[in-house]
Amino acid sequence: MLRATRLVTASKRGFATVVDASPGFKVASVDNGQPTSSVTVLLKAGSRYESKPGVAHILSSFAFKSTGKRSALGTVREAELYGGVLSSSRCREHLALTAEFLRGDEAYFVDVLASFLASPKFTRHELSEYVLPAVHSESSAAAQSAPTYALELAHALAFRNGLGHALYADPHAAGNITTEDVRDLHARAVGSPVAVLGTGISTESLAKLLESSFSAHKTASATPASGTHAAPATAYHGGASRVASAHGPQAVFVGFGSTASASVPALHALAAHLNPAPALKWATGAAPLASAIPAGVSAQSVLLPYSDATLVGVLLEGADAGALTEGAKAVVGAFKDAAAGKVGKEELGRAVARAKFQLAAGVEGREGYVGAFGPKVLRGEAANVQAALEGVQGVSGTSLAQVAANLVKGKSTYVAVGDLHTLPYADEIGLSA
Amino acid sequence: MSGPLGPSLAPYVRSSRTLSKWLKPVATWYANLSGYRKVGLVYDDLLVEERPDVQRALSRLTPREAYDRAYRFKRASHASVLHKDLPQSEWTKPEEDVRYLKPHVLEVVKEDQERHVWDTINVARK
Repeated sequence: MLRATRLVTASKRGFATVVDASPGFKVASVDNGQPTSSVTVLLKAGSRYESKPGVAHILSSFAFKSTGKRSALGTVREAELYGGVLSSSRCREHLALTAEFLRGDEAYFVDVLASFLASPKFTRHELSEYVLPAVHSESSAAAQSAPTYALELAHALAFRNGLGHALYADPHAAGNITTEDVRDLHARAVGSPVAVLGTGISTESLAKLLESSFSAHKTASATPASGTHAAPATAYHGGASRVASAHGPQAVFVGFGSTASASVPALHALAAHLNPAPALKWATGAAPLASAIPAGVSAQSVLLPYSDATLVGVLLEGADAGALTEGAKAVVGAFKDAAAGKVGKEELGRAVARAKFQLAAGVEGREGYVGAFGPKVLRGEAANVQAALEGVQGVSGTSLAQVAANLVKGKSTYVAVGDLHTLPYADEIGLSA
Repeated sequence: MSGPLGPSLAPYVRSSRTLSKWLKPVATWYANLSGYRKVGLVYDDLLVEERPDVQRALSRLTPREAYDRAYRFKRASHASVLHKDLPQSEWTKPEEDVRYLKPHVLEVVKEDQERHVWDTINVARK
C-alpha cells in the first residue's frame, strides 16, 4: 500500500506546454521517461479542407515520398536502419504524420518530417506508381465495410460540405486529381497553423530541431508555401439514407448532430450513457441500451467531436434486419428518454464516471494523445485533459436532459446499409422525418 | 557505361565554345543525314526501348507525349511501307527535335543506382 502511494507520487505527469516555433508551428511535448520517442506533425489537411474530392486521401498517401532532401527509397531504408516507424493517418480535419523512434535518433526523424513540410516533390510518377494503387486498395477495403460506409454517409448527410466530405477517395474519380491539386492542399495546410506533438522528448529540444531543419530545407528549395484555408463554419443538416450493400453484416446508424461547443461535455456523458458495451467481457452492462439491444447485434456509441461540430449516435451492426430494427428502435427510445429527463441519478453518475475514464485513458496512448491534444495545441490552449474532465464532472441531470432535448428537437441523421427490402425507414423506428 | 543512353561527349563539346562552333554544323549535317527527321521521328524515338528502365521511363510520359510518340511511329512505319519519305512540310524541324524521354530515363537510372547503393551499403554506427 505504502509502495503504491510512493509510485503514484513519483510518476506525477508533466503536462505539455505549448511553445510557438518560428513559421507557425505550435510545439508541445511531454516526456515521461519512456524508452522511445515519437513526434507527430498535425496539419490542417483533412478532407474538410480539400478542393477536389479525394485530394486529402492522396496527400496522406504522399507522406514520406521523395522530397528535396532524400528520395522515397532513401527515407524508407534510412528509417529501417534507425529502427523507427513512419506512418500517416488522417481524420476529417487533420492529417497526422508520425515518426516513432528510439531516444537519440530525433535529429534524423524530425528532419524527415520537416523535409516533407518544407520541400515535398509530389512527382507525377510517384502519384501513379505508388500513391494511387495504395489509395485504391484503401478505398475499396473501406467500401466493403458496412459500418465505415454508414459513418461516411452519416457525415455527408449531417454536414454536407466541409466535414461531410468523404474520407476515402473515390477510386474511379481519383484519376482526375493532379499533383498540382495535392501541392495546393499541402501549401495551404503548411501556411495554416501546424501542431507538432512529441512524446519522450523535451519541448525545447523538439522546437529547436524542427526550426533548424525546417529553415534549412526552406532555403534549399525556396518554394513559397502560401495561402491559408478559408473553411466556412459547419452547419448541421441531418437526413436519412438507405443504401444497398451485399457485403458482410448490415449496419444502421442513428445519430444527431450539434454545433454548440458548450454542449460537448454533456455529449460525452450522453455517449457514455448510451454505450451498451459492458465494462466486463461477456457480462451484460447496466446501461439502458445493454439489455434492449437484441442478441446478434453489436452496438457501439459514436461520439465524434470536431472543432466546430459534434456527431453523436449509435452504430449497430448485425446480420438480421429484424434484430437491427429492434435495436434501432431501442436507440431512438433511449435518446428520447434522455431528452425527457428520465436518466436516473445513479445512471448519470455511472455515465459521467465512464466518460471521464474514457477521456483520461484515451490520452495515455499515442493516437489518443494526438487526437485529444492536437486540436487544443492548434488553438494554442494548454495540452491537458483536466479542463475536459472538469467539464464532464460538471454535467448535471438537467443539463444532460437539456442537451439531449435540443438534439432530439433537431433533425436526426439516419443511415441504413444492407438489404433494403428488410431494413427499416427512419419513421419506422420512431424518428421524425 | 552500359546505361540506356550510351556514352556521350556532347556535354564536353557544349561546354567549349570553339569545339561547339566547329562541331555543331557537322552534328546538324549528320542528324539530317541519318534520315529519322524525314519520316517525322524525333531523336528520342530511336532510343532502345526493350529494357526495363526505358520501359519505366516510357510509363512516365504524359498521356499527350505517349499519344504523339505512337502517332509518329505509325506515320514512320507507313512511310517505310511505301518506301518514301514524308513530304518535306511534315519533316521534323530541328527545333521540334526535343529530348522528351531523356530526363525520364536519367531519373530512372538515378533511382536504380540509388537502390543499388542502398542494397550494398556498409553501415557503421557513429
